[in-house]
Amino acid sequence: MWPQRSPLAQSLAAKVIVSTVLLSLGVVWLTGSALYSQLSDGIKEVNLESSLADARSVFYNARYQFLLVEGASPPQIQVQVTDVIKSSTSLGTTEGAREIILLKIVSKGDDAKNGQEPNYSFASNGLLATTIPENLRSKISKDFDLSHQFAPLTYVTGKTIDALYVGQRVSIPGSGRYEMYLVFTLANQGATLDLVQNSLFLTGIVLLLLIALITWLVVRQVVRPVRDAARVASLFTEGDFTQRLQVESNDEIATLGNAFNEMATSIQAQISRLENLSQVQQRFVSDVSHELRTPLTTLRMASDVIYGHRENFDPVIARSAELLLAQIDRFEKLLQELLEVSRFDAEVAVLEPTDFEFIALVRRCVADLGVILDSPDSQISVVTPKTPVHIRADFRRVERIMRNLISNALDHSDGRPIEIECVETLTEVAVSVRDHGEGMEEVSLTRVFDRFWRADPSRARTRGGTGLGLSIALEDARLHNGELDAWGAPGDGANFVLTLPRIAGNEISGRPLPINPHKRSEVQIETI
Amino acid sequence: MTLVMVVDDDQDLAEMLGIVLTGAGIDVDLVSRGDEVMEVFRSNPPDLVLLDVMLPGLDGVEVCKLIRAESMVPIVMLSAKGDTQDIVAGLEAGADDYMVKPFKHPSELIARIRTRLRRTNADVKGSLTIGDLAINVTAHEVRRGAKLIALTRLEFDLLVALAKEPGRVFTRDSLLSEVWGYRHSTDTRLVNVHVQRLRSKVEHDPEHPTIVITVRGVGYKAGVVGVS
Repeated sequence: MWPQRSPLAQSLAAKVIVSTVLLSLGVVWLTGSALYSQLSDGIKEVNLESSLADARSVFYNARYQFLLVEGASPPQIQVQVTDVIKSSTSLGTTEGAREIILLKIVSKGDDAKNGQEPNYSFASNGLLATTIPENLRSKISKDFDLSHQFAPLTYVTGKTIDALYVGQRVSIPGSGRYEMYLVFTLANQGATLDLVQNSLFLTGIVLLLLIALITWLVVRQVVRPVRDAARVASLFTEGDFTQRLQVESNDEIATLGNAFNEMATSIQAQISRLENLSQVQQRFVSDVSHELRTPLTTLRMASDVIYGHRENFDPVIARSAELLLAQIDRFEKLLQELLEVSRFDAEVAVLEPTDFEFIALVRRCVADLGVILDSPDSQISVVTPKTPVHIRADFRRVERIMRNLISNALDHSDGRPIEIECVETLTEVAVSVRDHGEGMEEVSLTRVFDRFWRADPSRARTRGGTGLGLSIALEDARLHNGELDAWGAPGDGANFVLTLPRIAGNEISGRPLPINPHKRSEVQIETI
Repeated sequence: MTLVMVVDDDQDLAEMLGIVLTGAGIDVDLVSRGDEVMEVFRSNPPDLVLLDVMLPGLDGVEVCKLIRAESMVPIVMLSAKGDTQDIVAGLEAGADDYMVKPFKHPSELIARIRTRLRRTNADVKGSLTIGDLAINVTAHEVRRGAKLIALTRLEFDLLVALAKEPGRVFTRDSLLSEVWGYRHSTDTRLVNVHVQRLRSKVEHDPEHPTIVITVRGVGYKAGVVGVS
């Protein structure tokens, strides 16, 4: 399976839902923001209009009222001013809190006049003149028209609130010119805007949740058949070629299902055709090998009888009898190995493990081959642990591997020494067979276990190897769950290392013996 | 002279076997069909049967069963199949030994035949006991009390080999060399199958043997008297 990843990466549904929600979030955010800014602009506009209209009427009324008291005594004027202030603040109560400031304009260099004239300045809630923005004040002092400005309103308590300042110049009889300001606090407007914002926010969230839900429902419709297809495909991969998808509808998913099923049917047919072919092929090889055995037996016995009488023949015929027998030996060996190969190919090779002592087997293989060996300078040295090494393996196969490795080494040793070394660990046994012959190119190493492969085609076979030995040895080793490795260098000989689990079929955890004999010292051998 | 019955459908091989065996001083009776074996067997009982597995008429394994039903004569199977199942099937049907074609050397075949014809325990005389069994080696008889137990020659030899050295643990290899005459064969299936056959005849309960006792990881030994 794949390495463990986050659930998001593994689920198409989750991926689609997340990306849909994220995209929708963007869209909702944009529309929400646009809607909000439009709404707030509208609300502010309407507020401003009505506030200005209010202010205009207040100022108009104030000026009118002040005209009415032209020539009246200061106390009468004071009453009138108070009335004006009262009526101004009580007007339009629905607009909420609003403040009024009446500020006498002091003309410079007219101190005497200033001192005599009564001052009717007033500020609701004790507001200070400093809270009025300077811009607005200078505008009003220059201009007779109504002016307005948005600015924060600071109370004497220090509380600050957004507000709209509207101001105009008015004259009070007997007192001179005044700046008159109406300050509309925007608390109400802010509350409205907050409400709008909250509503938009809530709507957005609900919308997103709904979108997620809808996406999930839709995606599930698509993903379920995909999941089914994946499940069926993985069963198919595991070798159950009868698995098919259920196709119930007529949509694209059904098309996918039908295509998959057609592919499955086609693969199933191909595989069964190939299986038949390879069965026929293996059956044929096996039959041929078996059928060859009976005539070979006759041939062998006949040649043996002839060979037994060779001293009665003339030398040419006697030599022919020897050659005949030798070639029948070789033919027989080839036949046996072909049969073995066909068993491996048909996967009917069965391991028959028994308990036996490994070192004795190695020594006996050397002894058996050493006897056959007729070049006396070829010397085999064997290094083994002092104590017996008991393993559980297929005796016949291990013996065959060792015979193959040793006779291969003898074949290629050019008469130089051969070193055999056995080591054991808790879980493995390993044996290396090292020769110092002409060695192998690196390219050859990958092919050395190929059937009928020769390192050097021009090189004569001195010992009549069949060309199947190493290939069978590798299969034998793997049948034990072991491994057979080859190393070689031109002019430096070759090294074959067999590693077997102590109990056939167990895993091997490593290579107790190095494959490259020159890397010996670097490897810590953990022997027991 | 010794008479060996050669049952093989391959005319040339049968003739060649005839030549080799005759050369070794053995008389030969050639039979080429499985279903003709019993007729010849009864009219001219051989000292040993050399039996091919694949035969027309009647399969070699079946022929082996038929012969065993009425005779304890040594049977050596010849097989062109080296596969375990065929060998075990032949041994379980009652064959004493088997050889896989092609043989390494014809002399090997002759050696096997001679081993099967010879008394392997010729040095043992008189009577032996193993478990609650009495063996009369000279008379070639095994008795439990008064009851005679019929054994093939090979089974008898196997039993005698164990009984003559009570207390010794025999490895399968040493039994192969003492009873079958193999110098170094490793095919312990021969021993396993024959020990099973022997047990089915001599044990009270073959599942819990008291005569031929398994020594785990090593081999077999004789059961002790009185322990049963």
